[in-house]
Amino acid sequence: MRTASMLRIIFILIPAIAAFVVTGNRASAAVELPGGKQLERVDFERHIMGILGRAGCNSGSCHGSFQGKGGLRLSLFGFDPDKDYIAITRDSQGRRINPVDADNSLFLLKGTGQVEHGGSVRFGKGTWQYNVIRDWIAQGAPWSRGAGEVVKVAISPVELAFNKADEARQITVKATFADGSEHDITSFCDFRTNDDAVAEVSNLGMVKSLRPGGTAIVVSYRGNVLPVRVLIPMTLPAGFQYPKVPEVNYVDREIFSRLKMLNMVPSDLSSDVEFLRRVTIDTIGQLPTPEEIRAFLNDKSLDKRAKKIDQLLEHPLHASMWATKFSDITGNDTQALENPVVLKAKRSQQWHDWLRIRFQNNMPYDQLVKGILTATSRQNDTPEAWLEKLKKADAGIAAGYDTTEYAKRDSLDLYWRRQIQQPIEVWGERTAAAFLGVRVECAQCHKHPFDRWTQAEYRAYANVFASLAVGVSPEARKVIDAENTVRKGDTKNKQQINLIKEVYVGNVVKPFQHPDTGASLPAKALGGPEINMVKGQDPRVELFNWMRQPDNPFFARVLVNRLWGHYTGVGIVHPVDDFSLANPPSNEKLLAALAKDFVDHKFDFRHIERVILNSRTYQLSAKVNETNRFDKNNYAHSYIRPMMAEAVVDVLNTAFNTVEKYGPEVKPGSKAVEVGTSLFQNQQQAYVFRIFGRPQRSTACDCERAMEPALPQKLFLMTDPQILNKFNDPSGRVQTVLKANKSDNEVLDELFLATVSRFPNDRDRKAFAEQIQRAGSRREAVFDAMWALINTREFILNH
Amino acid sequence: MARDCEGFSRRDFIKVGSAGLLGMTLPQLLQYEAQAQNNAQNRTTRRAQSVIMVWLAGGPATIDMWDLRPNAPEGIRGEFREIPTSAPGINICEHLPQMARVMDRTTVVRSLAHTIPSHGPATVFMTTGNRPTPAIQYPAMGSLVTRLMPAAAGVPPYVTFTELRNGSAGQAGYLGTAYNPFIVEGNPNTPQARNAPPTAAALRVRGITLPTNFTLDQLENRDRLLRTFDETFQDVDRNADLVGGLDAFHQQALEILRSDKTRNAFALDREPESLRQRYGTTPFGQGALAARRLIEAGVRFTTVSLGGWDTHGQTFNAHRTRLLPQLDQVLSALIQDLSDRGMLENTIVYCAGEFGRTPRINGNAGRDHWARSMAVVLAGGGFRRGYAHGTTDTSGMAPATEPCTPDDVCSTIFNQLGLDPHQELNTPTGRPITLFREGRVIPRLIG
Repeated sequence: MRTASMLRIIFILIPAIAAFVVTGNRASAAVELPGGKQLERVDFERHIMGILGRAGCNSGSCHGSFQGKGGLRLSLFGFDPDKDYIAITRDSQGRRINPVDADNSLFLLKGTGQVEHGGSVRFGKGTWQYNVIRDWIAQGAPWSRGAGEVVKVAISPVELAFNKADEARQITVKATFADGSEHDITSFCDFRTNDDAVAEVSNLGMVKSLRPGGTAIVVSYRGNVLPVRVLIPMTLPAGFQYPKVPEVNYVDREIFSRLKMLNMVPSDLSSDVEFLRRVTIDTIGQLPTPEEIRAFLNDKSLDKRAKKIDQLLEHPLHASMWATKFSDITGNDTQALENPVVLKAKRSQQWHDWLRIRFQNNMPYDQLVKGILTATSRQNDTPEAWLEKLKKADAGIAAGYDTTEYAKRDSLDLYWRRQIQQPIEVWGERTAAAFLGVRVECAQCHKHPFDRWTQAEYRAYANVFASLAVGVSPEARKVIDAENTVRKGDTKNKQQINLIKEVYVGNVVKPFQHPDTGASLPAKALGGPEINMVKGQDPRVELFNWMRQPDNPFFARVLVNRLWGHYTGVGIVHPVDDFSLANPPSNEKLLAALAKDFVDHKFDFRHIERVILNSRTYQLSAKVNETNRFDKNNYAHSYIRPMMAEAVVDVLNTAFNTVEKYGPEVKPGSKAVEVGTSLFQNQQQAYVFRIFGRPQRSTACDCERAMEPALPQKLFLMTDPQILNKFNDPSGRVQTVLKANKSDNEVLDELFLATVSRFPNDRDRKAFAEQIQRAGSRREAVFDAMWALINTREFILNH
Repeated sequence: MARDCEGFSRRDFIKVGSAGLLGMTLPQLLQYEAQAQNNAQNRTTRRAQSVIMVWLAGGPATIDMWDLRPNAPEGIRGEFREIPTSAPGINICEHLPQMARVMDRTTVVRSLAHTIPSHGPATVFMTTGNRPTPAIQYPAMGSLVTRLMPAAAGVPPYVTFTELRNGSAGQAGYLGTAYNPFIVEGNPNTPQARNAPPTAAALRVRGITLPTNFTLDQLENRDRLLRTFDETFQDVDRNADLVGGLDAFHQQALEILRSDKTRNAFALDREPESLRQRYGTTPFGQGALAARRLIEAGVRFTTVSLGGWDTHGQTFNAHRTRLLPQLDQVLSALIQDLSDRGMLENTIVYCAGEFGRTPRINGNAGRDHWARSMAVVLAGGGFRRGYAHGTTDTSGMAPATEPCTPDDVCSTIFNQLGLDPHQELNTPTGRPITLFREGRVIPRLIG
């Protein structure tokens, strides 16, 4: 017995010793990395984990998925080296690695596709990745825990300024680890380009310039994400003299200096009609009428554009426009509002109007956000006084469309009442997206792969809302219960009783714990300070105070970026609610300057709008020149862009001079930008909203609003009865034009001004004359021309 | 470019992540679609090409239809008797005699269960195959099919006759508005149409067919004028994707309007009178016939719907006199018709509602909402014929054997369409979402 077991031990030991000897030999021979660099010692965390990440092995659709794949489960994006080490070296009876015969390790056989692998070939046999893993296995698969902990990642060069298209530059990435050592980790990083039309990058960090413009290369190394800006100037013809472009304000200074670096010349100043059409659509979501166009053209004063801007910013529909945008941002989802059903749509209107009044009065943005973020139902009222106001507000909407009582409130408690069904972490996600422009939802389950947010930060932020409640507070219980009892007695249908609930700050209920340690987790602003949860105090107030600090990294920057994105079609950070490490601003100086100006002017919303709209940049023509025709995000010309659904509806009605009919939810005669509800009884009437992408507002993402054109929109404009009926509206433009005593030329002028906001040119006039011939009657030809005009791209796009 | 095991490159992931699926430039989108088409064509395992969903809005009392409990105590078992069917061993309700005749070509799933007894979310669950959450709007099956299996040129891929729950279900969710259903309108619900035999003019898909009094000649004529008017804008920026993209859509729109495929699908008078009688002259019946013709024309997914199933009171009366006779006639006619034409093999018929109804009969001789056990009916597309899957306990309260969920049934439907039910699609924020995360294909339903 003893001998036998001794022998067994020896048999086991021999290969182990042999392996040790082999690795001893091999350890001296370093592995060659791409570019000829030598890797002296392979480290599990630094190198093996890096390879797994860049080869996609630990992605969500492969071994990183919750169930793993093919029996191997790795931590998602490699955030847990401990688990991964065990999975690779121990699970499956240790078959994945074979130190004696490293080439025959399942780990390598699978990865190279030598044995069947659902994920096909990740790297070939004999490639550098193969050699690194092979070497590591042959050394006995060592692991020193924590060796891969990164203190700092540095990239050189910090910015890639190319001389022209079609050049190549190498990015080098160095990491400083916890032990203080610094190593070149370029080969172990993942590289992506944010715009593959401008620059491409190889998976080893070789960047190639393709086309003039700017973008970023995003480098990630095991959860550390860093962007590298890329700038590729236009190659100007010999002797080209870059012109001097006049600047109106700091916006132009920042934009034009960047364009100069890019050798791009800004387009010319827009014509008066081009400017008027664009600024009217952008500010109030309508078209200028033929009369307004004529008046503007006849105005000879030098400051007529500035005057027009002021006039439009004061326009009631301008406030409605932003109430609509902020209804999206704050999630004014009618479906999610409380029963009874008949009041839902009207409550959405209260929400919309609460916002509208504030935009109309140009309330400072921080105060607006305060009213939303720190809302309670009772505010400082006694339960009795609150109940009276509530009844008055409800009576206003029950009987008609009167929202004034609700709009008078200091705070928008509907924002929180809409969240009744949601867990507190969703409240965190929603507020982060709305006011901080960051998308944290990834971090609910794992560290955000392309941003800084960890699960712990996600949970700590959610804890800020742990004391918020929607129900009945102890102080108000007596009053509310009494009222609700009366209401319950009124009807049989329990679902449809208008029961009173209030938003209030109560006790902390079940706060989140640390995802790994289970330790209690203090409430903490996102990327900011801890927040004290003191009984009787509203932690959201402290959160708000942190937000409105001048140096808050998000608050002001996000808002000015939203404004910029709205008025140019492309955010400096784009999409506008995706501030993340992987998505850097295209013009940091401009973003910083706008944010500073905003803070300096005490969050004056309209001041920033005025700065943007009066800039030459905003007023450039959409017509491109030879130097700027490739530009998509440096604002060298005005960008052709789609209109939001509400603007489409209103613009169509301005063109036809008709009034849109909605269902009973909407006050008759309303413009589309004035509509609060996101849900309509009559889907036929809401059809146009839906196909042009008005969102239900159920998620916290700006992307819920679809701005891209789609086929049904085209078909709608061409054939839909809803459109075709507008031709026959007795008081509509087509019928009025036909009845008026006008020449063919005058008729065509009217139709062109009403739709594409310009006068017809000779070609247009000739085509219309021919159409009259062909159609045999002017009446037919007018129908044809109007149909043709609303189906042009010039009409349906903003430019 | 490194591709992961789903054939989706990580570079695509970040690109979509920063731009968003909807933020894709139009040429990219078109290219993407073309690629999806290629992928779809390369699949050889596909059996089914299309789906007709027969939606019973309100929640049918499947305990009185497909899974009777004759041995349950009074107060549960109901008023109806069982009858045998052409599928040996499968008995169904006496008021579904026509269905009994085609049962040999039909599959009943008796062990389906979920936990949402509320109309809205349950409809979403059943039609998306995903339990609804506030964080994300799942796309309806029809929208997913639109995204993954392009339709023939000139026809809309996803057509719905009645909007589910006022348009709050059946939509494209995170896929974006481009994948929403096309809606049939001018339908024979109007009194005039109900009295007169439905004709081509009675039905049309909104936006797909030219309205009456708008001729194709007129369209071509106006389009010529439009091209001239639009020339000025062409000079502004030829590079703008939007300008090129809208032009592509314009061409497609013209192609659809010129094509008579969809219009012909609604020309129900081209069918023999005897067949039209078999479907019956109700809007539901004529809709089902039109649905079959749409599928023939190349539509991928179509939904026809019959409402009125929310029978909290007098449920037996409603089922006996109103609901079951209509369903029996139309569903059996559809299955028989598809079968006669050799279309049943590649068309899936799926008949379901949002939930079943309480086994216990309430004080108004009605049944209330009950999601914890329900039955659905499938036919064609390679589903096992003449088969009843799973059982419920004696009182019909819960599945007894082979319990399954809406996720499972949807996964199996997608499997039959040759689509991997576990593939991922990205939301506009770049988050990858598995089609039916909790769904397992049910092997015994197939074959």
